[in-house]
Amino acid sequence: MSAKQTNLLQGTLDLLILKALGPGELHGLGISRRIEQITHGTFFVKPGSLFPALHRMEEAGWLSSSWGDSENNRRAKFYQLTRTGKKQLEVETEQWSRVALAMANALKAT
Amino acid sequence: MNLWLRIRNILRNLLRKQQMEGHLDDELRAYTDMLADEKIAAGIPPHEARRAALAELGGIEPVRQKVRDTRAGAGLERLWLDVRFGMRQLWRNPGFTITVILTLALSIGANTAIFSIVNALMLKSLPYSHPERMGTINTHITGPVSSDERHKINGEQWELLRDNVPSLISAIASGRTSGLNLQSGSHVQYLQAGRISAHYFDVLAVHPILGRNFSEIEDLVNGPKTAILSYNLWRNTFGANPNILGKPILLKSAPYTVIGVLPEGVTTPLNADLYTALQESRKGEGAGTNFQVITRLRDGATWQQADAEINHAWSLRTQRYELEDNPGAQVSFYSVPLQQGETATLRPQILTLMLAAALILLIACANLAGLTLVRVLRRTPEIATRMALGASHWQIQRQLWIENLLLALMGGIAGIATGFLALRSLLLLLPEHFLPVADVPLDGRVLAFTLLLSLLTSVLFGMLPVLITRRFDLRSAIANRADSASHLRLRQALIVSEVAFTVVLLAAAGLLIRTLIHLQTLPPGFNPTGVMTARASLDDVRYHDPATFQKMLDQSVAAMRQIPGVQQAAAGLSLPYERSLVMGGLPINDGKEAGQKVMTSETYVTPGYFETLQIPVLAGRTFTAEDGPNTQQVAIVNQTFVRKFFHGENPVGRHVNKDIMIIGVVEDVAMAPGIDAVAPLMDEQMLYIPAAQVPPSLLAMAHVWFQPSWIVRTSHPVEGLTSQMQHAFASVDPNIPFSGFYSMHDLLAKTLVMQRVEVALLTTMAVLALLLSAIGIFALVANIVTQKTREIGIRIALGSTIRQAMTHIGSLGATAAALGLVLGLILCVAVLRTMQSVLYGINTYDLPTILAVVTTLSAVTLIATTLPALRIARIDPARTLREE
Repeated sequence: MSAKQTNLLQGTLDLLILKALGPGELHGLGISRRIEQITHGTFFVKPGSLFPALHRMEEAGWLSSSWGDSENNRRAKFYQLTRTGKKQLEVETEQWSRVALAMANALKAT
Repeated sequence: MNLWLRIRNILRNLLRKQQMEGHLDDELRAYTDMLADEKIAAGIPPHEARRAALAELGGIEPVRQKVRDTRAGAGLERLWLDVRFGMRQLWRNPGFTITVILTLALSIGANTAIFSIVNALMLKSLPYSHPERMGTINTHITGPVSSDERHKINGEQWELLRDNVPSLISAIASGRTSGLNLQSGSHVQYLQAGRISAHYFDVLAVHPILGRNFSEIEDLVNGPKTAILSYNLWRNTFGANPNILGKPILLKSAPYTVIGVLPEGVTTPLNADLYTALQESRKGEGAGTNFQVITRLRDGATWQQADAEINHAWSLRTQRYELEDNPGAQVSFYSVPLQQGETATLRPQILTLMLAAALILLIACANLAGLTLVRVLRRTPEIATRMALGASHWQIQRQLWIENLLLALMGGIAGIATGFLALRSLLLLLPEHFLPVADVPLDGRVLAFTLLLSLLTSVLFGMLPVLITRRFDLRSAIANRADSASHLRLRQALIVSEVAFTVVLLAAAGLLIRTLIHLQTLPPGFNPTGVMTARASLDDVRYHDPATFQKMLDQSVAAMRQIPGVQQAAAGLSLPYERSLVMGGLPINDGKEAGQKVMTSETYVTPGYFETLQIPVLAGRTFTAEDGPNTQQVAIVNQTFVRKFFHGENPVGRHVNKDIMIIGVVEDVAMAPGIDAVAPLMDEQMLYIPAAQVPPSLLAMAHVWFQPSWIVRTSHPVEGLTSQMQHAFASVDPNIPFSGFYSMHDLLAKTLVMQRVEVALLTTMAVLALLLSAIGIFALVANIVTQKTREIGIRIALGSTIRQAMTHIGSLGATAAALGLVLGLILCVAVLRTMQSVLYGINTYDLPTILAVVTTLSAVTLIATTLPALRIARIDPARTLREE
């Protein structure tokens, strides 16, 4: 855990998880590590937030899961994006970009 | 998330719970293992790596719980847990649970049964198409003598309405069905015939399955004699013969042609076996107010239009019209919706019952509020403990709400069952054709009403404990179990209201019981014991001839005198305890009232009538066989007649109706009043004439409306006589069946059936109310004792006697009960005035009733307060103090 880690903004967890799963299926720890990696260590998702979010998103039909073997032969649950999940990723990405742009503009204003 | 997905998730989560949990455990274990692997790879020793991984997870259980909470259906599952906990709580307090469910079952059952009747009579639409466009016409009469509303009209009024009100299709019917005989082959049958005008079935929008409705031609006086059969008569008597149209049938010993058959299951306001054309006229039976109008609004017309047309038509005639019983009266007409018209006579009774049922419900609510309050107070330690362990106010309240809803649900189901049973027994209690509806179902509206009622009571009584827990102070609850003053006052207020409502119900029931006793013990004016009566229809063309009629009466009475054990026999057009023919315009010839035209009840009787009924003769003589068609016309009057029209002077030898001489005065007998039913039994002015002197015009007309009765007096049990009476009658005319046998006591019971039903219903409700408030008071006082155990212990320890302690507690309940009694009596003054129209012979403020109510209620409250107070004797002051 680095000192620069920031608390997750409201509503960003779903987007991060969807984004992390974009390239392919990952297990829980894998998702966690991937989020750290793509945010350059800014965000660290605790298991207490990660697992409820994964189960909620699976129930919503964005993710599907299957059991498989990990790189060091542990039996783990792997998550992947469904078609709805991919669509959701596009929608949320577009939304977030708009908000981010708006925020950036707001901060630039004098 | 779409609905289908959500339902699938909920079902999966609930049904495959074990598997879901297993998978979650596996997933979390894999996560921890992999995390540990990472750490080992980074050079941390294995056992330390594992501990660090677990620490980073933050404990398996909290994560597991968080996942469970996000799953679909988690709320349902929590609810289910609460419900199960609630059920266990209720199960652990069977006394409380059973009392509450019983209270709900009884109070909601009573309301369900009464509401079903209200629903069937007043809310359900009539079984006709567009019932809202159907109506009847009433008259409103204001005159110097009296003003009243009437539901029936006469022939002249009918002709006026029929011809001058274009907005309405109108028809009339004789107000009641009349009994007549149908002969088919050797089989004779007594039927109820509805006499109706053309367009009657057009108004009802009923079309025959065979043939046609009556037309204007059949409506003409002396028009063709035709009949329309009900489906049941067509099937049962005529074997559903499809070729029946145009066939003659023998009605009243005359051939009638069948012109139509009604569809199966058709109901009409008359519900007759067959229908004949009324052939109304202004003369004859059209002279009296005998007809009931039924109307349907034509397309595009409005009721306002119709009313305006009715009154315009009537205004043209006002000058020429005079009511015999109300000279100089102003008459106006107005339309009434058919449903309202049909149920008008039952409305006061039904509203009384609804009020009673509502009072029961209020008592039940007070009761339940008290019971749940007591229970919440008793559960103080449990609730305090749960709050100390971190339960929020909301969680505690939620739990209490769930328990109340569970009780409401069980009580509601029990209430529907009770209501169903109560309704069935109530309908058995009612005589046939008592309610003007075919069926009183427990339909969707009744069930919705019941459900609403149980939820409402649940909200009402569930509210109290919830309000209390909101103010619940944890610290004081644990530190000090003593009761606060506001709770004591609340419980006393509940006792006050229970007692007050019970007073009203007891008083209402008491007044009705006193009325029934008064009516049943009225001196009947004759000796009813040992008299059997049998009725037959003489509406028969053969008996329009006075000589044949006379011969048949003589022979049949003589045949009945031959029955072993029979002491006397006679016949008459009507009997005591019954309605009799009312005639207007009877002139009094001499005496102080000479020239006056009066209204009187009238009946013909055979010689021996007064002897058979043992009606005392006060002056003059009774009829003999010598009073025949060719001798001096004679009459006998009763005391009321003498009092009203001769100012108490002896009328014997005076004349009425030109040359009819009064030859005797007899005692008044109890009768059902003729025109407006002001009381079920009263003394009416009565004119008796000998059957041998009945004018032919009256003979034909009277038998349309009245079926004469044969009476025999016997020393044997009367029930054994029926077959012998029928046999004796058949020896004279085998084609006339008796329509019913009644002992005189049966007739009295029949006349008082409304009163008996009212008494039975209201008494049941009053007893229910008494029971409910007794339970309520007992529970509340018992709780006061429990709550004050400590205080009483201290009092006794300080030297107070047990008697003093009991008096102290008892007085808390007794003061409240006394206050309730006073409040109840005040409430009676306001409420019972509405009962005046159903009380006879007693005052609304009847002292014996009030005394009986006060005594009963005092006794019951005394017992209900004393029993729990007796527990004080078992209080051990030393132990009470040690417990502190």
